[in-house]
Amino acid sequence: MYSLLFKSFFRTKIFLVSLALLLTVGVISIFIGKQYLVKQEKTIAAAQVYQEESIEKNVAYHREDLGLLLYYLRFTLIKRPQNINAISIGQSDVNPLLQAVTIRALEAQKYDTDFENPSLLMSGNLDLGFVIIYLFPLVLIAMTFNLYSEEKELGTWRILAAQTSAKAGFLFKKLLVRILFVFVVLVFLLFLASAILQIPMNTNFWAIFVQSVLYVLFWSALCLWMVSLLRNSSFNALALISIWVVLTILIPALVNNYVINAFQVPEALDAMVEQRDGYHEKWDLEKDATMTEFIKAYPQYKNYPVPEDEFSWIWYYGMQYMGDFAAKDTSAEMTEKIMLRNTVSEKIALFVPTMHAQLSLNSLAGTDVLSHLDFLKSLTEFHKNLREGFYTKIFDHKSADAVDWKNHEAKFYEQDYSFSWLKLLLPTLLITLIIAVLAGLNLRKL
Amino acid sequence: MRKNVIKLLARQLWQNAFRSKVMLIASILMLCLLLFSAYSGWVNYHDQNFTRDEIQDEVKESWENNPDKHPHRMAHYGSFALRLKHVLSVFDLGMENFVGNAVFLEAHKQNTVNFSEASMSTGLLRFGEVSLAMLLKVIVPLLIFYLGFATIAQERENGTLKLLIGQGITRKEIVFGKWLGLWCLSLIFLGAIFLVLLFFVLIESHDTMHADSIFRYVVLLLAYLLFFGVLSAITILVSAFSGTAKGALVKLLGIWLLFVIIVPKSLQAIGFYLYPTPSKIEMETAVEHDLAQLGDSHDPNDPHFKALKDSVLRVHNVEKVEDLPFNYGGFVMSQGEAMSTKVYLKHQEDLYEVYGKQNNLERYSAFVNPYTAIKNLSMAFSGTDFQSFLHFKDKAEAYRFKLAQDMNQLQMNLIPYKGKAGPDTISNEYWKEFPPFEYHFLSISDIFKNELMSLLALVLWGGLALFGLLRLSTNLKAI
Repeated sequence: MYSLLFKSFFRTKIFLVSLALLLTVGVISIFIGKQYLVKQEKTIAAAQVYQEESIEKNVAYHREDLGLLLYYLRFTLIKRPQNINAISIGQSDVNPLLQAVTIRALEAQKYDTDFENPSLLMSGNLDLGFVIIYLFPLVLIAMTFNLYSEEKELGTWRILAAQTSAKAGFLFKKLLVRILFVFVVLVFLLFLASAILQIPMNTNFWAIFVQSVLYVLFWSALCLWMVSLLRNSSFNALALISIWVVLTILIPALVNNYVINAFQVPEALDAMVEQRDGYHEKWDLEKDATMTEFIKAYPQYKNYPVPEDEFSWIWYYGMQYMGDFAAKDTSAEMTEKIMLRNTVSEKIALFVPTMHAQLSLNSLAGTDVLSHLDFLKSLTEFHKNLREGFYTKIFDHKSADAVDWKNHEAKFYEQDYSFSWLKLLLPTLLITLIIAVLAGLNLRKL
Repeated sequence: MRKNVIKLLARQLWQNAFRSKVMLIASILMLCLLLFSAYSGWVNYHDQNFTRDEIQDEVKESWENNPDKHPHRMAHYGSFALRLKHVLSVFDLGMENFVGNAVFLEAHKQNTVNFSEASMSTGLLRFGEVSLAMLLKVIVPLLIFYLGFATIAQERENGTLKLLIGQGITRKEIVFGKWLGLWCLSLIFLGAIFLVLLFFVLIESHDTMHADSIFRYVVLLLAYLLFFGVLSAITILVSAFSGTAKGALVKLLGIWLLFVIIVPKSLQAIGFYLYPTPSKIEMETAVEHDLAQLGDSHDPNDPHFKALKDSVLRVHNVEKVEDLPFNYGGFVMSQGEAMSTKVYLKHQEDLYEVYGKQNNLERYSAFVNPYTAIKNLSMAFSGTDFQSFLHFKDKAEAYRFKLAQDMNQLQMNLIPYKGKAGPDTISNEYWKEFPPFEYHFLSISDIFKNELMSLLALVLWGGLALFGLLRLSTNLKAI
């Protein structure tokens, strides 16, 4: 029975078209992921060289004045890339891979972007995640929309009905053949990605694997349900494509619009101005306006002299500190707003498998907005350690030789890739089960 | 062709459409989407511009309220440029949320334009955004296909096409009647959306912007009219050349998926694959490298700056820089600023050239994909395309350069060279004289120049559609 069903399926035009489409776009998407990884590597190499050379050059110029030297020097913190990023590039194209910062106020440097072509950002990356989320459902729809209606319209259904007692079983097997084919392609592409992109088969890879399978299962159930309504081909095609448009385009876009408008982030712009004014206005104020707050944070420098009528580095870096200090609350609010955007999106996504799939692929691949926020947090820590490591030496008017520059190579930030299986799988699983049960109930009447 | 026959056929298509459930569901859905996108587009435009206007004013005030100080300190105090949205961004969001919104302008340094909405968004942004234009570009074409796939194929299946021809109605009348009916049907959606948009344009445009906005609006309206005409023609043609209505539907859905979703994205991705771009750190390294080649102002024996000094001394016929009639420190800084800006802009131009190449693959596809043509036109005339962003960025950079150089000039004229007696600060009256940043949108003629190709492609598509319909008028198969 199955071999016949397979044979008849392999002879259809839609089989060939689907296979060609999925494989071509799938392979393109894997190579785009490869290119993305190569670009990351190049950027990191450039950053490492840049830091080494700029330290060498600037130390030669400003050897005597550590304060001035550190005005210029930039220190790099890099998110250590993992090849799994390339499966779902997510927000990692908008948010920079690394940040090179001086020990001056951080707020003015933290949000600097990398160069990206906005046309590309708008159209989005053609990564494997896109192929799975958008194209696999389309192929399923194309192969199943006339599962029953075709037989009905060609008149073969009545012959079949006369010959078999398990009509629903027949439809189910026919569907199974098609789903199986889609799964074979899916698994093939995932393993191909793992091979070409050299992704280790760790927990996160298998989580992406399971999430993808579950997602395709969801669409299979949906197609089965549509078939179980026993309508004609045109109706099925129209309805399924409409559902696809609603689930992959309209609902996510509506939610996105809603989230952006409901949680606007004017704090981002406010913090930017507050930081500048918080620092710059101190130039025209008494030294105490700077030093009181700075000494509160760093009491160990209480006894350092701050001459009232001339420039001193302790005052200068104190002013820079005050820039960040002035923007601190607003900046924290901004981060909170972005977290809120993410929380709300994730909550709504629990009910919409397409959104859930996209957000969880991004988070499993470490390319979601939260991982960038984590990076920024660790950048703040990195900046703080740098400053504090240099303060005493600068304030003691040491020369550049007092610092062991070999320890200041570009540093890597290790991302946290942990996740919860339950939250990952349960929502889509439940929705799939409900739809499958509904379809089964409909088919029992057959 | 008899006008009344065509009208009759068109009206019949209307009646059929309004009797079908598709039209009812589509209309309700479109109405909800229209209300939502008009509302969210407006809120976004209004709130964002309000915030940015406010901050821009704040920036101006704090600039002017600075006390007397050294002009170079003011050059470092700097200013901010905030990108204002065009009122038509309510219509088409385009790249609006993918480009930065604010940039810090200071001496010596070209900062990136930061705080794009995308950088503060979740992964959902990649599903796209709902805007009035998105409804017209993505959803309405699908509706046109839904409503029109059966027009001729179904009549032929039912045998009514034969009857029509038998009654003396010419093929041309049938083809153009059906086409007109379908096109007019799509204009319901177009009309509703543009009516809402007109309201926004009228209440928001200020005196100087009024003519500009209206003009942009009219171009958009005409472009979409033509686009829908082309889509209706494609629907009629596919329906006529398909054996069954079902076949026509499947083909049309395939066309929609391919041309609206898959091809534009794939071409953009392939463009990116073919033309790699440097990262910021790579470009900064290259800029520093080029600058070091030209000269190093830190090095007292640098040939470039030494030659500069010698020539300045010679021209003014003095021995030492202290004897120059202006502050030599300010002079060196202004030369350095001009030099570094020139080098930076050269590299930036190269980068944008690569972006251009990356985008061209998709842009040229307008000749095979009318969706691409309307997409680019729609963004450009709504002021939300890449060129509009670059225009802002260029203006901001020009302002930054002027700010730095004016401050250098003040230093040259009014601050005594180091070691000489005299005040180290100048009056804050000078800050007030420096004009604040003001942005004016790209002119219409520039937009036409940028989008000439898309316009040409769309007009060609119009011609092609007409040609197709005329051909069909002679060889439409009745059975």
